[in-house]
Amino acid sequence: MTATTPRPSSLPPFANEPILELRRASVRAGLEDALAAVDRELPLPVPVRIGGEARRASDFTSTDPGTPERVVAQCAAATAAEVHEAVSLAARAASAWRLVPAEERAACLVRAAAWMRERRLELAALEVRECAKPWVEADADVCEAIDFLEYYARGAIELGRGRPLLQVPGERNELAYRGRGVAAVISPWNFPLAIPCGMTSAALAAGNAVVLKPAEQSPLMASRLIDALRAGGVPEDALAILPGAGEAGETLVRDPRVHLIAFTGSLPVGRSIVRAAAETSEHHFKAVIAELGGKNCVIVDGDADLDDVVPAVIGSAFNYAGQKCSAAARVLVHEAIADQLLERLAGAVRALLVGQAQTLGVDVPPVIEREAAERVARYVGIARETGTIVAQADVEEREGWFAPPTLATDLPDDSPVLGEEIFGPVLAVQRVRDVDHACDLVDSLSFALTGGLFTRDPAVVRRVRERTPVGNLYVNRGITGAMVARQPFGGNRLSGTGLKAGGPDYLLQFVSQHAVSENTMRHGLVV
Amino acid sequence: MATVPETGDPRPPEAADPVERELRAVGESLAAAFPHGSRLGLRALDERAMELATSDQELRAALFRFVDVAPACRSLDDLARHLTGFLAELPEGPPPPISAAMRVSGSRAGRAALGAAAAGGVRHLAHRFIVGESPRGALPTLRRLWDAGVASSVDLLGEATVTQAEADRYAERCLEAVRVLAAETPAWPPRPLLEADGAGPLPRTNVCVKISALTPLLRPDAPERGQRDAAARLRSLLREARDRGAHLHIDMESLDSREAVLALVLQLLGEEEFREGPSSGLVLQAYLRDSPQTLDQVLGWVRSVPRGSPLTVRLVKGAYWDHELVEARQHGWDVPVFQDKSECDRNYEALTRVLLDARPAVRVAIASHNLRSVAHAIAYDRVTRPDDPGDLELQVLRGLGDDLATALAAREYRVRAYCPVGDLVAGMAYLVRRLLENTSNDSFLSAQASGAPLEELLAAP
Repeated sequence: MTATTPRPSSLPPFANEPILELRRASVRAGLEDALAAVDRELPLPVPVRIGGEARRASDFTSTDPGTPERVVAQCAAATAAEVHEAVSLAARAASAWRLVPAEERAACLVRAAAWMRERRLELAALEVRECAKPWVEADADVCEAIDFLEYYARGAIELGRGRPLLQVPGERNELAYRGRGVAAVISPWNFPLAIPCGMTSAALAAGNAVVLKPAEQSPLMASRLIDALRAGGVPEDALAILPGAGEAGETLVRDPRVHLIAFTGSLPVGRSIVRAAAETSEHHFKAVIAELGGKNCVIVDGDADLDDVVPAVIGSAFNYAGQKCSAAARVLVHEAIADQLLERLAGAVRALLVGQAQTLGVDVPPVIEREAAERVARYVGIARETGTIVAQADVEEREGWFAPPTLATDLPDDSPVLGEEIFGPVLAVQRVRDVDHACDLVDSLSFALTGGLFTRDPAVVRRVRERTPVGNLYVNRGITGAMVARQPFGGNRLSGTGLKAGGPDYLLQFVSQHAVSENTMRHGLVV
Repeated sequence: MATVPETGDPRPPEAADPVERELRAVGESLAAAFPHGSRLGLRALDERAMELATSDQELRAALFRFVDVAPACRSLDDLARHLTGFLAELPEGPPPPISAAMRVSGSRAGRAALGAAAAGGVRHLAHRFIVGESPRGALPTLRRLWDAGVASSVDLLGEATVTQAEADRYAERCLEAVRVLAAETPAWPPRPLLEADGAGPLPRTNVCVKISALTPLLRPDAPERGQRDAAARLRSLLREARDRGAHLHIDMESLDSREAVLALVLQLLGEEEFREGPSSGLVLQAYLRDSPQTLDQVLGWVRSVPRGSPLTVRLVKGAYWDHELVEARQHGWDVPVFQDKSECDRNYEALTRVLLDARPAVRVAIASHNLRSVAHAIAYDRVTRPDDPGDLELQVLRGLGDDLATALAAREYRVRAYCPVGDLVAGMAYLVRRLLENTSNDSFLSAQASGAPLEELLAAP
């Protein structure tokens, strides 16, 4: 006997949600109204939501990074008791939710996607305000959230069918996947809808209950995610949101009833989560799925077309003020064309428009908060003292957490500007003798998230592809903007523990495997 | 406002249609005037390579990747390594003459020889399309064209503009081109057909500019930003052209920049200081599904803003077809270009008729190598203006439409060759686009080159 052939899914094949065609005036026309409508509602409440309960309070706020006196959300901060309660409820809900057929769990996600699709401009406008995401990026984030829902819905259906095993007469063998139980999701602010949506929907799709602790900078966007999923039919008890600061997250992570932790954020926090997960596992090992930082390099070989290199590098380094784990931090350029590239990059940096996120055409918005602007300034200071600042763009805005886009070079090999994740608009250029020299530099880093390569030599592409440790290599294009199902995303080394988000294997981390072998012989009869 | 007919509007059956009858006569007369032995198309020298590239898509890609990288290679050895690298990726292996070349690439001396041969090939190809490295260097060719009854329009090739300094340099090169040509062209002998039409005199000096090269700030989602930045530089070019009696033509590029380009050109040409000049024009791309609406907009503007000399509208098919298709597919957008060749050709003819009917408010330049499209424009002009035909310009690309230009000049039609000027590095993007266009399967030129019968070439799309 062989395994049954998989039934075709009831869902149409996956396709990415189309981004707004903002090159058309008629499409741009809707943005201003959407923002005005959102502004009339602000500030919005973000309660702690556990089961059917919602507790409102003004324990903390999220504000517009471009206009800090604008309060975007008034939020309740979850207490330790609420964390405990949320996990208790989730533990009970998980055992029921995992028994819901995969097709039905998937249907909840697909309905949540439809809910978001109906509110695309509103959600993007909220991101413009809460996280200072420029329209193009905010829209892309909403689309990516929709993509995750649609993609993992299909993945859950496939996983629900199990995998075929070898069958011999007299036995029936099955491999099934089952939700692990309670998933703690700790999400960042830089993709304030897509990343919490990806981690949460994967956990739910695989049959887990979720307790979500979003970044304190973007609680409103996470709260909208809960709205979408609950509107889609996810049971209230299976999905809680605990706004708050780091302590709530730490309490959640350490709760022994949590089975898995999905985290996207910085390396130090990631390390402490891995440690806490090991120490607080009594009845099971807690699985940790962590997407951490990067120090991403773009290699530019001597035969590269600089007409392509300059816009791609500038976009990868400075879009959203460099606040992406995939952003370009270093350019490793062949010495033969280094002067030319540096001159063109410098001119392109000076041409960048720094301004408010809601203004179309702004290249670089403010960074997320005061501490971020100060951190960027610190690294720029180091670059000025130990190397050369080649170019900076002007910042004319007076309010808001603006950090000037900066291009630096001539830095010493051990400079923190070259080794540490700045998470801001700073790009360092280094000359290399050849591509192998560049590969050695990339290889010496403990981060290995994204990387870029510009060359027109197929042999060089082959060589770098084989050598590079990075999780995502981009050839002759920008190194940010991974698309669900097209560029499964995630890093190696200290950049991540997990399988790639938006890829075919991601859900495997959210399930336990169960093999069942049944004897089908009874008194010589195959039953 | 003009009403632009939908594409594929009902027309009388061919035999009964006077335009179709005239078109056949014009087409046959042009075909007979093509230079002897040219098979209505490409010259023999590159024909073999072109045919090879047209018949094998993988080989075509390999050859174009090589042409593209050639100017960036630092040595003959480097050049040979790239060439063999591309050819090695062919799934079927390289064709026999090329695999022989690859065998010699095992040694340094062999690579140097191969590199030298390949570099020569690329240079030769480039010189077919690019008339000189500078405006001054282009003068002898432009003069030869003029003597042969072909006017010219000079396009300055350049690298992408990503900095303000690059935008300034490009504007300076354009100014220089206007000055150099305007100083030289008065000495050329008279060519009455090329120097005046029913709307008045036509400048001998004719320069094309690209808005994307006049500013590093073009953003598809914020056209006003690039528009503002390019305006100052474009104004200085318009002033120079006006003061020296030159024609300044603004090219159209991909759809990403159309809104900015159109708005900028119409804004500046409407300004008081440019009401009386210079002679100027813009481009309409017939492969865009919404090109009829764009033409409506342009004609509406033309009628509301009187200028000293009418706006020239150059009607092209469009050179960014692959780019538009790929970009739309990657983003999940409706494809903005016609994907069916005959639909596109029908739109071209519909736009031709609207443009010709809009004279004298506009000057019309039909820029196509498609013998049917060219003959259609001439025939429509003759049928609709039987007493006074000829207020119409035909345009070709230097290197691709040379034989067509010769035939048009021989039959005493007003013809202008679009002549790129620039160095090899800057010219590669242009060259590759032209080669792609020329060797694509539904290319008119490749159909011509492969000897399709005249009847087929002139058939209604």
